[in-house]
Amino acid sequence: MATVIQAQPLPPGGGLHPLQAKALMAAQQQQQQQQQQQQQQGQPPQKDANEEPFDPSRKLTAHDFVRVRTLGTGTFARVCLVRPSHGSEADRSKVYALKILRKTDVIRLKQIDHVRSERQILADVRGHPFVADLVASFSDATTLYLLLTYVPGGELFTYLRRFRRFDEDTARFYAAEIVLVLEFLHEQCGGVAFRDLKPENLLLDEQGHIKLVDFGFAKRLTNESSGANNGELTETYTLCGTPEYLAPEVIQNKGHTTAVDWWALGILIFEFLTGYPPFWHQNPLEIYKQIIEKPITTVLPQSPPLSVSAQDIITQLCNVDRSRRLGNVSGGAARVKAHPFFADHNVDWDALYHRRVRAPIIPPVRYPGDARCYDIYPEEDAIKEEYTEEMREKYDEFFKDF
Amino acid sequence: MSGPTFNSPFGANSNPFGSSRIDTGVMQRVAEEDENDTVTSPTTPHFGTTTSATFRGPFGGDATFDPQPSGVRSPPNPEGYPAQYNFGRRTSVSAESLKPVADSYDNWTPPYHPKTPEQLERLKKAISGNFLFSHLDEEQSAQILGALVEKPIPAKGIKVITQGDAGDYFYVVEKGSFDVYVNSAGSLQPGPEGMGQKVGAIEAGGSFGELALMYNAPRAATVISAEPNCTLWALDRITFRRILMESTFARRRMYEGFLEEVPLLQSLTPYERSKIADALESQKFPAGHTIIREGDPGYDFYLLESGEAVAYRSDNDQPVKHYKKGDYFGELALLNDAPRAASVVSTTEVKVARLGKSAFQRLLGPVESIMRRQKYVGVESGVEDKDPLQKS
Repeated sequence: MATVIQAQPLPPGGGLHPLQAKALMAAQQQQQQQQQQQQQQGQPPQKDANEEPFDPSRKLTAHDFVRVRTLGTGTFARVCLVRPSHGSEADRSKVYALKILRKTDVIRLKQIDHVRSERQILADVRGHPFVADLVASFSDATTLYLLLTYVPGGELFTYLRRFRRFDEDTARFYAAEIVLVLEFLHEQCGGVAFRDLKPENLLLDEQGHIKLVDFGFAKRLTNESSGANNGELTETYTLCGTPEYLAPEVIQNKGHTTAVDWWALGILIFEFLTGYPPFWHQNPLEIYKQIIEKPITTVLPQSPPLSVSAQDIITQLCNVDRSRRLGNVSGGAARVKAHPFFADHNVDWDALYHRRVRAPIIPPVRYPGDARCYDIYPEEDAIKEEYTEEMREKYDEFFKDF
Repeated sequence: MSGPTFNSPFGANSNPFGSSRIDTGVMQRVAEEDENDTVTSPTTPHFGTTTSATFRGPFGGDATFDPQPSGVRSPPNPEGYPAQYNFGRRTSVSAESLKPVADSYDNWTPPYHPKTPEQLERLKKAISGNFLFSHLDEEQSAQILGALVEKPIPAKGIKVITQGDAGDYFYVVEKGSFDVYVNSAGSLQPGPEGMGQKVGAIEAGGSFGELALMYNAPRAATVISAEPNCTLWALDRITFRRILMESTFARRRMYEGFLEEVPLLQSLTPYERSKIADALESQKFPAGHTIIREGDPGYDFYLLESGEAVAYRSDNDQPVKHYKKGDYFGELALLNDAPRAASVVSTTEVKVARLGKSAFQRLLGPVESIMRRQKYVGVESGVEDKDPLQKS
């Protein structure tokens, strides 16, 4: 059975009217202008008539969508820009990102638990201004689908590599938005660890604000879904993430918690400011060895040096000792927000949350379905392994939530 | 050049949190791309005046890296980048999902393959320098050494691992020698030269394939026996990770159970208890060791994980309290630095889990505020709690 999640009011400034798909650039600029004016006046823009064009009682299928192009590929998933294949003109002009997962790959790569958890957590975290919302999920005989809001600005990774590095104000802006989303996941969603923070998983919306994507490794660590920090916190042991961003406790299989995301934030700020991650080697084992054995202070750049507060926040986030790691210590995310890296620069957290702070990079998006900010990927997959009848019998029950 | 408006993202007014917003332009800094526009790089020092570098637009094909200095931060040192740093997208990695068998820990026992003391010594030595094994405790080490299984390699020319294949096992060479080949194509190719270049050899005491202990990554090389009658010890990832996980998991649950019994910490939520369990440090002492000394300032709180201990006071020849597994002492150190009211001495070999006041406060804040949630009165507990000591 398809699960269509009812549309919720968009966060301020979050959506563009579907009819504007065909609008000229000028028209869009005008709208941006209006939004900006509204934001400057502290008023949220009016909600667009943005009801999803799907009947929630009907099962969606891949035929309900037309693939426009691929936005990204991973080891077992492909994300495509899609449009509804039928409905009114307004409906057909809507755009979404469709994450397509082949069951055989999910099984072969032993990612069944991760995929189920991704779907569940995406449904739970909807509505945050810095998370790309899940619209619906569905499946067919061979494939699982996650329908998400389309985030047109592309990956922050692309901008970081183009600009080589960010200055501290730019890095601070993105870091601050990420702090808000980590605070939300860790403290308001019942201990959800994201576990794969990196520039590749941060998209920019049309106004340049962060959208966190790829919840494939996200995991809920408490047994209570609501209310902060009352349930049992169960550490988890599955190694996952991206080599350069793995926390030491993950490498050593000591059991890990949401503290891994704070470690990764430290790595991320380092990479924002220098253009490369602090621990790197061609051989991944050497990366892991460095993460375990090299204090981060020994790899901070000498020339040009980072500001004192930037050095300090990186050092405190990338503390091997979790009883000292900023974000994990008493006070949680509030302590991160109070760090001089943010506090000395008048970060207005409330304005930031409501996306009223002007972003440092405005993506050159001209219409809602514009995909120019994404790199081009091959549209066809290599060899496809058959999803056999035996596999169906053995595994389909695990995918029934889709 | 009449490029589109493209103010530097590193411009002086770019602080999104700055108090003075001079540029209130509608377009702000729009990263713009147009096929026909050649725009100077926003990272060049003379942006907009010279075309020393060609800005390919933020969204061209492959990334190119402007050799020109950045306009804002001081010029980057080209050598500042790690050698051969790969600027491409990084792939996520993931091992099999691993869940502890929870309460039925005893139901899983790691495989055990007996070895002679000499073999054990050699194995210990072989893995001692490896960071994946260096942080293990004694129990974990013993289990892992026990789990290594002997693999006879009878002939010369047997490929133990093949470049490009899935990796599941880590190997230690017990006897014989092995050659390592790498094909620049990234995997073993057909034909006589298919293994590629020989890049090294591994002799007895050496090891290979350790990345397989973390997750399933394609093998980076082919390893082939260089002589007949070789012997390897092998360890698979699931066993390795499971040994580490089950022992860590069991110990943490045990700590949480112990902590639940401490009246001072009664008002902690389960979430807080598990954070504390995370910060406990295990220590071993022989019999007769004075763990805390009467009159010393108290900084740490102890849980007795195994063994037995007794408390003495200078005004009494007889022990004033006996401790066994699960008991705790020194908990008032979490509250204040008052001198210890008694000494605690191990009577057998003991293993204690230690928690410092500072670690506690870093994780949960001052104990006083936690105690305010619930009154700590009239409870019979550790050595600094005068009542039970004076009664006995």
